[in-house]
Amino acid sequence: MERFPIGITLLLLASVAIYLGLAQRSLDRMRLTDRGALVVIAAIIIGSFINIPIPFVPFNTSVNVGGALVPVGLAIYLLAKAGTEKEWGRALAGAAATAIIVYVIGSLINSGATVEPAGRYAILDAIYLYPLVGGIVAYVLGRSRRAAFVSATLGVLLVDIFHYFWLLRNGAPANYTVAIGGGGAFDTIVLAGIIAILLCEAIGESFERLSGGPKIEGRAPELVQNLKTPGESTAMAENGNLRANDMDATGNERGKVDIEKHEDQK
Amino acid sequence: MYSQYNNSSLPAFTSSGIFNRETPDHLTDRYTSIMDEQGNIISMMARMTFSGDELYTAEGSHYRIDQVQGGNATAKFLGMDPQILAYNEFYAGQNVSVTKDLAEKKSSDTIAIYHSHTDESYVPSDGKESIPFKGGIYQVGKSMVDRLQKGGFQVNYDQTPHDPHDNNAYTRSRRTAVELMKTKAAVLFDVHRDGIPDANYYRAKIDGKNVARLRLVVGRENPRMSANMDFAKKMMASANNIHPKVVKEIFVGKGDYNQDLMSTALLIEAGTHTNTKEEAAAGIALLSEAIPAVLGVSPAAPAAPTTQKPAGTTSGSWKALGWILGLTIFGGLGFLLVSSGSLANAKQRLAGFGREFSSFLGPRSAVRKINGESDNTENLGQKYEAKDDLAKETMKDPEDGLKKG
Repeated sequence: MERFPIGITLLLLASVAIYLGLAQRSLDRMRLTDRGALVVIAAIIIGSFINIPIPFVPFNTSVNVGGALVPVGLAIYLLAKAGTEKEWGRALAGAAATAIIVYVIGSLINSGATVEPAGRYAILDAIYLYPLVGGIVAYVLGRSRRAAFVSATLGVLLVDIFHYFWLLRNGAPANYTVAIGGGGAFDTIVLAGIIAILLCEAIGESFERLSGGPKIEGRAPELVQNLKTPGESTAMAENGNLRANDMDATGNERGKVDIEKHEDQK
Repeated sequence: MYSQYNNSSLPAFTSSGIFNRETPDHLTDRYTSIMDEQGNIISMMARMTFSGDELYTAEGSHYRIDQVQGGNATAKFLGMDPQILAYNEFYAGQNVSVTKDLAEKKSSDTIAIYHSHTDESYVPSDGKESIPFKGGIYQVGKSMVDRLQKGGFQVNYDQTPHDPHDNNAYTRSRRTAVELMKTKAAVLFDVHRDGIPDANYYRAKIDGKNVARLRLVVGRENPRMSANMDFAKKMMASANNIHPKVVKEIFVGKGDYNQDLMSTALLIEAGTHTNTKEEAAAGIALLSEAIPAVLGVSPAAPAAPTTQKPAGTTSGSWKALGWILGLTIFGGLGFLLVSSGSLANAKQRLAGFGREFSSFLGPRSAVRKINGESDNTENLGQKYEAKDDLAKETMKDPEDGLKKG
């Protein structure tokens, strides 16, 4: 077919492969194994084709499995598994802050009937704005990749919920379609989560490398435990001995874990 | 032609107005005039422009904005765009009378059309510039749909509203766009209108009809930008070949506009809110006639120029592919270097990368051995020092599952 010349086909394959590859790599940074991350990606892709209509609510409302349930479910799983209550609170605060900032920028500042095509101060498209805000908020609050994922995904979901109330208040027609996560694997919920982790990863790795790695002494044991890969950390925590060369090992594995240093700096 | 605009009196976008919502009284307040280096106005649009945004005129003049002051932007002329010149020549060589007749051959291609801003309306016809949830833009979209269906195309017109009229509308319309892609759409059009006060900027008489001319918009924050650009140039050249200057220009500005989803996704602005809806509908119907030639489904154009490329053009999709691969490799290597701390570590990690995939097929025996040893070992840190990164990667692989941590 003329419209699928080899260049476009390769472009399509390469972009999908890179996107999914990055997605797998970034989910890998969560509390998931390589294989767990692959399972999540597969669930997102297959789930993209499944829309679950929500009955008994106003409008034509549905939730997409791959675009909303899987990423939001993962975010909730990560919250539930959070090392400390503080981490949990920070991630939720991050989600709320992300939602408010994105709503103000995307819906209040960049709006107006005759401002085309994306608003007066639309410097950054919404698909980048969400993860950028989510990533930065999470990083500032807790320097945590997991919190970045939670802030970004739940932040987008919260904006969807704001929008739902907006529709109710403004008398939207009953046939208005609300498809939460309807973009499936390409939905902003998924994109935001993945880009936020990558952003945190890139910023985090650079800063941490520059500042000489995470400090372990004097940290709460559960936080230190999270700095290690599980098998390693259990053995370490039981011993209670953390030596200089352990810190090196941690440094090399740093991409796999969350690092929280803010308390030391207080 | 546009000398009636006195630049000094043009109102500007101001930071004090950030939270001011537009009201009809302020309609004339917000637009940008783009001027060439001689001070001639080359374009006007109801959006903020930024240094680096680009403009391609119907003739092929290529400008890049290098200075923005309030509502005035100055653009530098970068010469004639060889691609547009080549496409103009290519389509001019085709049998126009046959191309015009869309109904010659049925096509299996699906054309997908939607509106991100579904409140957009035309003041002379609709009474106001914005009608929430059911703007006049729907009739403009319908005009395109009718024209294409008459030509034998399968059209998937999604009328899902995405109100309110804001930037987040693209997040909502993205869901519609993805749904449309699932219907095997060959092209994806997001139909809008502009918001400048002067209708004459778009108004024209083409082939005896009063029409509002069009602008195609390509988002710069879009990894497929060069492929979309290629498609936009083809659309403009093909449409203008059949109906001269019905497409005024292509604007390349900040944004993504969901064009990362498809190489053939385009944002079309059909006139402005002060044009009549009928003018806009007539204009976009003329553009629709260009689609068969671009997709190569018209008898007059057995092959789209993607396969029979006119001289002097490189396919945008190859360029986009190059950019994407280049950025991935560059970014990946950069990150590898930062995260591993030294060139030697980076090399070691890179060497282990290929072997990592084999671990999905089953843990290698060497890894099992390490696993076995490590269970009861106190000097784990030292052991790790001795092993390569691969060992560490695969340590956690086989049975950990989701429960780990």
